[in-house]
Amino acid sequence: MSDKFDAIIIGAGPAGSACAYTLAKAGKEVALIERGDTPGSKNVTGGRFYTYALEMLDEKLCEEAALERPVTHEQFMMLGGERSITIDYHDPSFHTPESVPMSYTILRARFDEWLAQKAEENGALLACGIKVDDLLEENGKIVGIVAGEDEMYADVVVAADGVNSFMGQKAGLIKDLDAHTVGVGVKEVIELSPDVIEARFCLRSGQGAARMILGCTEGIHGGGFLYTNQESISLGCVFMPDQVAQYKKSVHEIYQNMKMHPSIYSLIEGGKTIEYGAHLVSEAGYRGIPSRLHREGFLMAGDAAGLVMNTGYSIRGIDLAMVSGIAAAKAIIRAAHPYEAGPLYMKELENTGLIPSMKKMDGFFDILETPWIYDRVPNLATGVFSDLFSVHGQVPQSIKNSVLQRIKENRLSLWQLAKLGLKGVKSL
Amino acid sequence: MSRIVACYKWVAEEADIRINADLSVDLSKAKGKISDYDRNAIEAAVQAAEALGGKAVSLTFGTQKAKASLKDVLSRGPEEGCWVNGEEADNADSSVTARALAAAIKKIEDVSLIICAEGASDTYARQIGPRIGAILNLPVITSVAKMTFVGETLQAVRKLDDCLQTVEVELPAVVAVLPEINSAPIPGLKAVMAAGKKPVTEYKSADLGVDLTPKTQVTAFKGYVMQRKNIILSGDVGENVAALVAALRKEGVL
Ligand SMILES: Cc1cc2nc3c(=O)[nH]c(=O)nc-3n(C[C@H](O)[C@H](O)[C@H](O)COP(=O)(O)OP(=O)(O)OC[C@H]3O[C@@H](n4cnc5c(N)ncnc54)[C@H](O)[C@@H]3O)c2cc1C
Repeated sequence: MSDKFDAIIIGAGPAGSACAYTLAKAGKEVALIERGDTPGSKNVTGGRFYTYALEMLDEKLCEEAALERPVTHEQFMMLGGERSITIDYHDPSFHTPESVPMSYTILRARFDEWLAQKAEENGALLACGIKVDDLLEENGKIVGIVAGEDEMYADVVVAADGVNSFMGQKAGLIKDLDAHTVGVGVKEVIELSPDVIEARFCLRSGQGAARMILGCTEGIHGGGFLYTNQESISLGCVFMPDQVAQYKKSVHEIYQNMKMHPSIYSLIEGGKTIEYGAHLVSEAGYRGIPSRLHREGFLMAGDAAGLVMNTGYSIRGIDLAMVSGIAAAKAIIRAAHPYEAGPLYMKELENTGLIPSMKKMDGFFDILETPWIYDRVPNLATGVFSDLFSVHGQVPQSIKNSVLQRIKENRLSLWQLAKLGLKGVKSL
Repeated sequence: MSRIVACYKWVAEEADIRINADLSVDLSKAKGKISDYDRNAIEAAVQAAEALGGKAVSLTFGTQKAKASLKDVLSRGPEEGCWVNGEEADNADSSVTARALAAAIKKIEDVSLIICAEGASDTYARQIGPRIGAILNLPVITSVAKMTFVGETLQAVRKLDDCLQTVEVELPAVVAVLPEINSAPIPGLKAVMAAGKKPVTEYKSADLGVDLTPKTQVTAFKGYVMQRKNIILSGDVGENVAALVAALRKEGVL
């Protein structure tokens, strides 16, 4: 076996496997190296995936992909004390028999393993259970990698090693993380029978729900998510770690309290926890993208490159990881010389609309920085609903007055809310 | 070049085995793995091949699922893989497995040593080594904790309760090794990469010409739940200690 590959890809997550798949399909010699015993074995994600990225990788892949339920019900939930409001948006056009559903819930242990296997079937050499320790550098170029005792060379090394990329740090392209721009996510997979899931979420068989939850973080910048899989529910929460420390709380405790909320507990009651994990997630959006994503012989893709979009109503990282992995592969295929790969990669990222989309969504970061949206807003909303639906046979307060009183009660002002609204409109 | 055959079993990962409330056992979510003790047997074969100037060959009898074991086993050092593919492996007893393995070994040329683990990590029946020896009419040494080779002679140290016994045998032979014989290293990058390119021979169980009907049948497979007393002591420390000692005495533990 020759010791030199066209490309070595570090990490068999969605970014790495999509990159390896595309390269191998074009006949490139590619090594895909994953530290987990199987791809996805330790990867944590919420669990919703937009299918366009898989279609971009190859037609028809969606048909055989390891997916869970198509998302037909988009839900938003606010918790305020024991109260809750849930909005359920059902759009049948998100899932018509004629076309591939727009998004699916997924379980990463299955999905990542499947995708890596697809790359392998195309001819990529997959090595699992191997941690890459270092990069090899010669004359200012990255020329290969070191794993344990072994060294391996390649024209281009692609770091697809996830958030807080160790390889990006080794290459000098990113610094150690800033607690302010990264969230900590905890997630649990709770097993329940399909009948129970469908009954609790008012779904038909073959339908699925994705839910974002506000007001479950005890005032800390963050939010919850819930996804229905075929035979389980993925439930979790993302928090800003600096605030968790500041409030002297434990992530685990807040998460347990969220689970015990009457409106959440009734969804998971009787279920069995089959998986529990924690992971970092980039929260900075566009401004979290490192100023340089490449060096000669080296590209960064997916979370390693900070390509995650968090709007508060959705987290997107898996699709962006795949799109960037494909872009990196295309750049490597087109590059006549390794030094061309970097600039070509940036061009691809622009062309696919990935970077422009992130730029467009940048304003969300500021909205999500508003400290009082995490407890006072859900409290206000549930309070107003409480007044709206309370009937005790007395002369009711006017709705206007009740809203104003609830605003005051929550130490907010109309002015603050108007400003947030304006910011929101501008960001959208 | 003489060949040293390492036999191994593709078993269910214990951590993934689930026992349901009705004590039925659910293996459907369990990933496969090379039986833990077999990893030492494989490493022993690699070391023996080095010492004897031979070639280590891996051998397994398993269903279609065992295909996933080939890359794994070959990353651990053997130069060739051999797989007897048959659905019979699912309900094989020790005699069936030994017959299948022995039949495959007969097809491998110039075998000087066959290495098994003392037992598989799922059933630990300790039968495969001795049975292969019986079928192939070869000497068998079990409970081997150390092997040294002098020419074509194997000197094996057997671990017996609290004694060590050293025996010598002329090769070819069958040995069953204990896990302490070596520490099986975790394969490195190059070994994993090279594994995918090593030659693999697949035999269909039906083509081996041996009877693979088990003599013993598994009639029940149920979870076992340890009955615990669940005595919880509450009160102050002094009382608790006294109560704990009394409770342990009652159980005959003290
Ligand atoms: C709680 C939570 C919820 C989320 N929810 C969603 C969601 O619903 N939808 C969505 O689209 N995104 C979501 N995301 C984001 C999404 O998970 C990531 O954006 C996505 O996984 C990025 O893919 P990747 O391939 O870049 O990195 P990863 O998936 O992190 O994969 C990196 C891989 O590299 C391997 N690796 C790392 N270092 C090394 C090394 N040195 N040597 C070898 N291998 C190495 C790792 O083991 C891993 O397999 C969520 C994230 C979190 C934490």
